[in-house]
Amino acid sequence: MHLTWGPEEVAFREELGAFLDEHVPPEFERGFDYAGEGGEVGDDGQLDADNIIPDWARRWQATLFDHGWMIPAYPPELGGRNATLVQTLVYLEELARRRVLRSFHYPGYGIVSPSLLEFGNEEQKKLVPAAVRGDTIWCIGMSEPNAGSDLAGLQTRATRDGDRFIVNGQKVWTSYAMVAQKCFVYVRTDADVPKHKGISLLIVDMDTPGIEVRPLRHLSRSAGFAEVFFTDVEVPAENIVGEVNDGWRITQGSLAHERAGLWVEGVCRLDASVLSLIDVAQRRGLDQDAGVRRDIATMYEQASSLRALGYKGFASFAQGSSAPEHSYMKMATSEMGKAACEYGMQLQGAYGPVMDPERGEENGRWVNYFFMSFANTIAGGSSEIQRNIIAQRVLGLPRS
Amino acid sequence: MDFSFSDDQVLLRDTARAILSKECPPSLVRAHIDDPAAVAPLWSQLKDFTALGDGPCTDLCLFIDETGYVAAPGVFFPTTAMFAPLLAALDHELLPSVLSGEVTGTVAVAGADGHWTLNDEPVKTFVPEADRVDWIAVVDTGPTVRVLPAADVATRQTRMVDFSRLFFEVDTTGTPGSGVGLDPAVFNDLTARATAALAAEMVGTSRRLLEMAIAYAKERIQFDVPIGSFQAIQHRLAECSLAVERATAAAQYASMTLDASDAELSSSQERFRAVHVAKAAAGNAATRAAKDSIQVHGGIGYTWEHDLHLYLRRAVGSEHWLGTTSWHHDRLADLLFKAR
Ligand SMILES: Cc1cc2nc3c(=O)[nH]c(=O)nc-3n(C[C@H](O)[C@H](O)[C@H](O)COP(=O)(O)OP(=O)(O)OC[C@H]3O[C@@H](n4cnc5c(N)ncnc54)[C@H](O)[C@@H]3O)c2cc1C
Repeated sequence: MHLTWGPEEVAFREELGAFLDEHVPPEFERGFDYAGEGGEVGDDGQLDADNIIPDWARRWQATLFDHGWMIPAYPPELGGRNATLVQTLVYLEELARRRVLRSFHYPGYGIVSPSLLEFGNEEQKKLVPAAVRGDTIWCIGMSEPNAGSDLAGLQTRATRDGDRFIVNGQKVWTSYAMVAQKCFVYVRTDADVPKHKGISLLIVDMDTPGIEVRPLRHLSRSAGFAEVFFTDVEVPAENIVGEVNDGWRITQGSLAHERAGLWVEGVCRLDASVLSLIDVAQRRGLDQDAGVRRDIATMYEQASSLRALGYKGFASFAQGSSAPEHSYMKMATSEMGKAACEYGMQLQGAYGPVMDPERGEENGRWVNYFFMSFANTIAGGSSEIQRNIIAQRVLGLPRS
Repeated sequence: MDFSFSDDQVLLRDTARAILSKECPPSLVRAHIDDPAAVAPLWSQLKDFTALGDGPCTDLCLFIDETGYVAAPGVFFPTTAMFAPLLAALDHELLPSVLSGEVTGTVAVAGADGHWTLNDEPVKTFVPEADRVDWIAVVDTGPTVRVLPAADVATRQTRMVDFSRLFFEVDTTGTPGSGVGLDPAVFNDLTARATAALAAEMVGTSRRLLEMAIAYAKERIQFDVPIGSFQAIQHRLAECSLAVERATAAAQYASMTLDASDAELSSSQERFRAVHVAKAAAGNAATRAAKDSIQVHGGIGYTWEHDLHLYLRRAVGSEHWLGTTSWHHDRLADLLFKAR
């Protein structure tokens, strides 16, 4: 059991550091320790509500790809450098430490690419480089008005008609739908079997006739996601990923991909937030307050024990065993992140909700992040669903 | 960074588990309530492992975790986690016989306030197992250390809620000998080591309490279904298991930082931060697991006959020893606010 990085990781970190020193866009200096989805917080503390993927962020993602730094574990042709798992951990930590995001839209590199590499055919795998480079913007059509946590209840239908599927139905909360070129659409292909067994996954071009996108603003006001309506949308039959009615297996795969990589970012953000609470306390003259000190130390304890838990899960994952630790990370980092933001507002007293660049502090940073933090406790499996998963799959309690 | 255990460590843990589940059933913990001599057969097994007291903290903690799982009574903890490392730091002649399991000892530091901080008070408090051990190392301001035969000092047992760990006041008035000086930094490291070991022990106790709750939730039927299928129970136990998992990882991390060289750590404070985090996380996990487990058990959990309270007692006792959760949070705050 070692505590430190070996020479290979140190060299890797140095190479990455040199690259970042040279290429990281200056825009990141404004700080992105919480933002991610839904636009950028400008100098004025306001979200740039309509420009959800700024041009500079697109260029940055392409630069990462071109230098083999977008997904280091991938082979060079997919924007990587065949990095080891441990190097990937080093990579994610270094980006988080510098508060640099790889991309402003995760579905393409985070969900679509790993799913296509695992379940797609040779033709479909060719879509991966553009997804990782960010040249193609993807969205994920899972949730529907009547199928949220209970994803398997989805009703958007796809009926086979010769060499194509005809899709009818509606998706909702589809992030990036208004700017995306392609969508991973989960559809019902068989209504007569148990609900998990009649779902398929289609790749759909967003400019296909019959698709209507109606943007929905996030509670923070940014144009974050959308409703997507499908009316007799024709999709070539070869656009199915995997087998007909095998879509549920892919959802489990892609959600696992989403969770596995996210914990490092989640933990690093949480660490950063807790440490900046100390700065807020100092600026507000509360750093000698016994209650404040204890509260912040308690949050630090939670964040750093979570990080240790992440490493532990990582170690068993790296050795090829499944890591129940990962199930805890999403729930805990999202909930604690929310609590930290709320505490930041508390420390600011009356100025907590102020978003006036000439008044208050940090341009409403804490309240902005507090608002955004709900995305993390709801999307991708709510905290309640995570607790169900832990209870049933990790602790082995019976299903209700 | 590698959090995985070597094959030798896995073997050590499995060995500890096998011995302790056989030699330290709840019946032994109960027998010890009325007759502390009941631990003799357990000690005859554990004495083969006292050499862990002078090895890597990670190995010691792996073993101690398992002793916490069974709430093992007796002198193993003070001898290996406190006395042996202190003797090693002093290069004391007794060390070999301690590591071979022939001789046992404990350490006395706290004064009347119960805090593990240096003082010159003649009466030391919260000294574990002082009437069972052969030697008592008394630490005074300086720090200076006197290693006294236990028979030469007066002890008075402090009655505690936890029957599985016996605490004593030790009156050193009139005892002979001048102390040997100890580097204050070394004393701090020894304190950190004992605290990390206690955190590991508490993790074991927490795991026991949680496992009992999970097992009961699967087996107890109400409203025609196992109570574990109720979401209120599931979510309570999911949160509880998060607390236990966090504490497990934090304790492991703390023991790893204690074994690491200075150069391997991001800062010299990292060791102490890690230990405060570990003890606080373990305190939180242990008391939480105890409360949740009793709640999930309902009325049966409230009885003397049920074994739950043995571990509840251990959890509460440990949470208050070597610094409560809040105390460790406050020390952590001191480090964090100073560093910032
Ligand atoms: C910012 C954001 C971005 C998103 N992006 C996308 C996207 O790109 N693509 C996509 O397909 N979806 C997306 N979603 C949708 C997201 O996956 C769903 O919101 C989520 O799965 C919850 O579904 P729901 O909103 O219908 O809530 P519901 O499922 O109706 O849940 C409402 C409440 O009930 C609780 N609940 C539900 N079931 C249970 C249960 N069994 N036990 C206990 N409590 C339960 C939930 O935890 C929640 O508190 C996004 C959501 C957000 C907030």
